[in-house]
Amino acid sequence: MPSKYSLLKESWNMILMYALALIMVFVLTFHLLLVSPLTGKTFEQVLNYSYVLHNLTYYRIVFGLLLYAAVIHGLNGLRVVLIEWLHVKRFQWIINTIIVILMAVLLAVGTYTLIAI
Amino acid sequence: MDREKEEKRYKSGLLRSLWPYNFNVERYTYTLHRITGVILILYLIAHVFEIYHLALGPAAWQQTMALLGSLGIWEKIGLWIIAGSALYHGANGLRLILNEAFGILLGKPVLPEYPYTPTSLSRNQKIAIYVIVLIVEALWIWAGIYLLWGLGII
Repeated sequence: MPSKYSLLKESWNMILMYALALIMVFVLTFHLLLVSPLTGKTFEQVLNYSYVLHNLTYYRIVFGLLLYAAVIHGLNGLRVVLIEWLHVKRFQWIINTIIVILMAVLLAVGTYTLIAI
Repeated sequence: MDREKEEKRYKSGLLRSLWPYNFNVERYTYTLHRITGVILILYLIAHVFEIYHLALGPAAWQQTMALLGSLGIWEKIGLWIIAGSALYHGANGLRLILNEAFGILLGKPVLPEYPYTPTSLSRNQKIAIYVIVLIVEALWIWAGIYLLWGLGII
């Protein structure tokens, strides 16, 4: 029987997922527009070093928001999928630990990239 | 069902959950939402490390682009699958937020009566699903033309 607090945590977890998803709808659409044919550039041109660097430095805060929203939403989603598929109690702890480590690594690498450029 | 058979069935949970036996349209959208979500998170992990090379300078970036370019057509096909996954996951996710967070498109709750048709599969819900599929298909074709243009496929 789940405790009152674990239920509370799960519902907050879903609210966090919805909020991050809504943020991503706007920020990811913006990111995709920057690499879309609407820019008038070819696929090779949008991957050009100076173009990518310019976008990332000019819209640093937007890409930072996208990084944090996508990593937290994505890895939390993967955690839920894995826990539901591997329906064994002892795996839950292992999955949670791996997800937290992976989240920390991705956020560290992404934040470093956004600061260092 | 004896214990051994029950155990075997239990362990096949992952494949059984993806096997489209007796699925209704909502179950298809749910399964596809999960599959596209897993594709997107795997891509995101690779994408963060790809962008990291930008901080190492133009030479490192060119090297990464050359490595991805060496995949040839598979790079573009991979990106096309990821674009489709992002479009579907985003559009269907918005429908799910309307459903689950705001209760929109779910229909009025009714007493359970045989054959127990779920009210969540209302007319409006089905229309929303088909509209999402149409919009995603149109945008996915557009992305495909952009990515695969000039490769001899289109």
